[in-house]
Amino acid sequence: MSATRSKRSVKAGPFTYALLVVVLLASIFPLYYSFLIASKDNSALGDAMPSLVPGGNLVANLTRVFDTVDFWLAMQNSLVVAGTVAISNVVLGTLAGFAFARLRFRGGNSLFLVVVGTSMVPTQLGVIPLYMLMSDLDWYGTLQAVVVPALIGAFSVFWMRQACEESVPFELIEAARVDGCSVLRTFWHVAFPAVRPQAAVMGMFTFMTAWNDFFWPLIVLDPNDSPTVQVALSTLASGYYTDYSLMLSGASLAVLPVVGIFLLLARQIVGGIMQGAVKG
Amino acid sequence: MTVAPERAAGRGTAPVPPPAQRLSWRDRLGRLDTKYTPYVIVAPFFVVFAIFGLYPLLYTAWVSLHDWQLIDGDQGFTGLANYAELLSDENFWNALGNTISLFLLSTVPQLFAALGLAALLDRGLRGRAFWRAGVLLPNVISVAAVALVFAQLFGRDFGIVNGVLGFVGIDPVDWRAETWASHLAISSMVVWRWTGYNALIYLAAMQSVPKDVYESAMLDGASRWRVFWSITVPSIRPTILFTVIVSTIGGMQLFVEPQLFDPGGTATGTGGDDRQFQTLVMYLYEKGFRLFDAGYSSAIAWVLFLVILVVAVVNFTLARRIASKG
Amino acid sequence: MSRTLVGRTASITAVALTAALVAACGGGGGDAGDGKVKLSIGIFSDFGYTNLIKEYQASHPDIEIEQRTVKMEQHHTQLATQLAGGRGAADIVAIEEGNITQFRQSKDKFVNLADHGAKELAGQWAAWKWNQGTTDGGNFVLGLGTDMGSLALCYRRDLFEAAGLPTDREEVGKLWPTWEEYLEVADTFTRQTPNVKFVDTAQNVYKAILDQTEEGYFAKADDSFIGDRNDKVEQAFTLAASLGEKKQTGALAPFSQDWNVALKQASFATTTCPAWALALIKAGAGDAAAGKWDVAAAPGGGGNWGGSFLAVPKQGKHPQEAYELAKWLTAPEQQKRIFTETGNLPSEPAAYKDPAVTAAVNEYFNSAPVGRIFGDSAESLKPTYRGTKDAKVTPVFNNALSRVETGKQSTSDAFAQAVGEARDAAK
Repeated sequence: MSATRSKRSVKAGPFTYALLVVVLLASIFPLYYSFLIASKDNSALGDAMPSLVPGGNLVANLTRVFDTVDFWLAMQNSLVVAGTVAISNVVLGTLAGFAFARLRFRGGNSLFLVVVGTSMVPTQLGVIPLYMLMSDLDWYGTLQAVVVPALIGAFSVFWMRQACEESVPFELIEAARVDGCSVLRTFWHVAFPAVRPQAAVMGMFTFMTAWNDFFWPLIVLDPNDSPTVQVALSTLASGYYTDYSLMLSGASLAVLPVVGIFLLLARQIVGGIMQGAVKG
Repeated sequence: MTVAPERAAGRGTAPVPPPAQRLSWRDRLGRLDTKYTPYVIVAPFFVVFAIFGLYPLLYTAWVSLHDWQLIDGDQGFTGLANYAELLSDENFWNALGNTISLFLLSTVPQLFAALGLAALLDRGLRGRAFWRAGVLLPNVISVAAVALVFAQLFGRDFGIVNGVLGFVGIDPVDWRAETWASHLAISSMVVWRWTGYNALIYLAAMQSVPKDVYESAMLDGASRWRVFWSITVPSIRPTILFTVIVSTIGGMQLFVEPQLFDPGGTATGTGGDDRQFQTLVMYLYEKGFRLFDAGYSSAIAWVLFLVILVVAVVNFTLARRIASKG
Repeated sequence: MSRTLVGRTASITAVALTAALVAACGGGGGDAGDGKVKLSIGIFSDFGYTNLIKEYQASHPDIEIEQRTVKMEQHHTQLATQLAGGRGAADIVAIEEGNITQFRQSKDKFVNLADHGAKELAGQWAAWKWNQGTTDGGNFVLGLGTDMGSLALCYRRDLFEAAGLPTDREEVGKLWPTWEEYLEVADTFTRQTPNVKFVDTAQNVYKAILDQTEEGYFAKADDSFIGDRNDKVEQAFTLAASLGEKKQTGALAPFSQDWNVALKQASFATTTCPAWALALIKAGAGDAAAGKWDVAAAPGGGGNWGGSFLAVPKQGKHPQEAYELAKWLTAPEQQKRIFTETGNLPSEPAAYKDPAVTAAVNEYFNSAPVGRIFGDSAESLKPTYRGTKDAKVTPVFNNALSRVETGKQSTSDAFAQAVGEARDAAK
């Protein structure tokens, strides 16, 4: 298969590589810049033309981050939150997406329209009632206040429905049903394997979204008892003045696990998108 | 789409129960399974949404009909007064205009750039995974960190962007003071963050376009440019419309980027000294959380919801129509 | 087989849910299991409480104290949400002077500290500071005063010298007994060194002038909006805006990153400085500028800018213990220590007249006798009346000044627009 593909693909010339290098540099530069600030003293930011050479303050700044906030606890909490949200979205999202794409049931289309509609609800809209709800449930300051509302999102359902439409042929479903497979068994043996790559990508996106979310966690979590990484970072900005080198040291640190997971799985995930799509 | 058979199936199941004897319990179970399992497996979404999405939404609707102070709560029913006030509120229309301007400025170039980038990535590349991972990298970073860095890059006096502009002989731009400049700077954040992501989605779709279509076109001697616009783009139109909808929803709710770009930050949240880059969600936030006017803030939220709904439904209908043709 | 499948799917979901629930056990507040009373105190910036809290815990072994620090704006937003939700607020919360009027309206969410005997303490504070923390004609004590921000003016010695102006802080103070004279100094300065801005931002000059008047946007008598007819407002605005029109300001957002950069680059010569701003200037200008900044008396006499209060939300479980801690933290002895350790100026005469405070010098600011300067400023201070909706109106005028500074509008247009917007905001 790869042979046919490379035959059809236009061979990339030096111009293509040059453009891609430019894009890549543009992608990386802001990251590098935040690392640059993290490696310097805050007052070095006032220099007229900021030097692009890292300073020697990175370790000192990182030490200050660890002195100021319980970063390990925050990291652990974030892993639990983002991990749970990602797994749950993969499972529930794929199931629902499969149902909407490949099962016939009364009202299915209308229900799917409702799903799409829900993603248009501005998140900031319901903060106050949501907060009151969490108080009533006695969930203030607990991680489930952040996890449970995010267990399944419209985006996941939408995405997995697309994936099932692309990658799960009707004929296979029919065949499985004729063989007497139950709906869930058909899902597990036919649909899920076909959309696994897309599910992995979706899982990673939800993981990142949950990891980076800060609007709601900031309100409902206790910065001392149950911080996520983003909540912990916000307490770094609590001084009279904004200490950018401290904040961006923390921010760079917070990004590391995500970048790490991402780079580790990049081959599978990014390659996975293609694999899944080619089948369709 | 397969609307008709679904309806038929739906109508057919209820009234005519097949003769009982001829069905084993296994068959009957199978029938129940076919009929109800779909509902069971889509249920979690609706349960979660009903509790954590719908309930707050309806509650907000209720709040919007009152003079409601954030801390002290209900101060009396006022009917549609908040909405009436909103329609004559210059700041609201200003925020709506900014939101649309920022949405267009960030979405249009972003999607075109993503399309181009996808075309580049679609060529026979060495180290494919490396390039693909590279363009997705910006999406990994939290928007808060991105905003911090871009605020530095777009500094008025000593920011790098102005430094580079000065190098080519352009006067420094006050990125926060000017309307167009602030919109450009904020859009650049959005574009930077989401272009690679959309490019990969396009790329996935491009790779599933049947190869023989290309081959025949290539044999006809069509230029690469023409093949791209007359074959590739039409073939992935459903995907493009999907990204348009997602970007619409995201773009209309733009908040963190402009909020953190404002030097006044959350302290004032007015989006510049003349509200030149205040979006609707920022206005909602200003009213609700800084001025504690929860009733008015809820009214803004509902109007925003309706605006998004209208824009997205138009897009969605369009998407379905074109998808069924494509 | 199909059952195991269902089982498998279910178990995955169950694992996910259990993880969420188990994780939840990590959180939760309340009392420690060992019978200690657990108090939390929610502050912003640096109140200098870390050492004091350790001391208090040592002398009160049955009490455990947790300090929560977030950014100032975020702190007040969170507090509002927590009061609205009826849960989550710290046992003791700090409220900044500019925000307290808004919270005063919601006094039923707070403990009336008078019920715990706070009225006896009234004499500790400067009268205006005590009054800011009370409502209902003094019958409801909402918060106990912490620090205050009496006003001075910071200037850069080397830039003044280059412009042929005196550099000695006493002489500099004599240059500008009034704000009109301050503007004249600005003109002289600009004539001599046209490439350096005289002041960082018109906004802070405006605030300083307005804070020296008895009434600002709201009438002392009935809290009604008078910003559209109080001449003092227009005068202050016009004075400050003229600096902007003449491009004598850096048009900087106060305390922003651009402001930091400008400090480092020495691109402005003066800035209004309440006691707490010294730390900001030092942090922004960096070690290279040590001894170059100095502190002089502000034009127009003293003024107050900033300072906070400690209040006790009703939702807390231990109001009596919380009150005791707040009382101790705001007592003169502790305020004195905070001043020597972090530089926050006491709001109690017994503390700011204490020799340990008045003798304090700040080496970074050319060894300026900051204890005496700020103490004098506190003495001559005429507090301005802050209306309930002050916090809603203030940004409107700041934005207007910014429009003048950036050349978008004339002073009169900007003022007219601001008055209109303020009238709406105060409705």
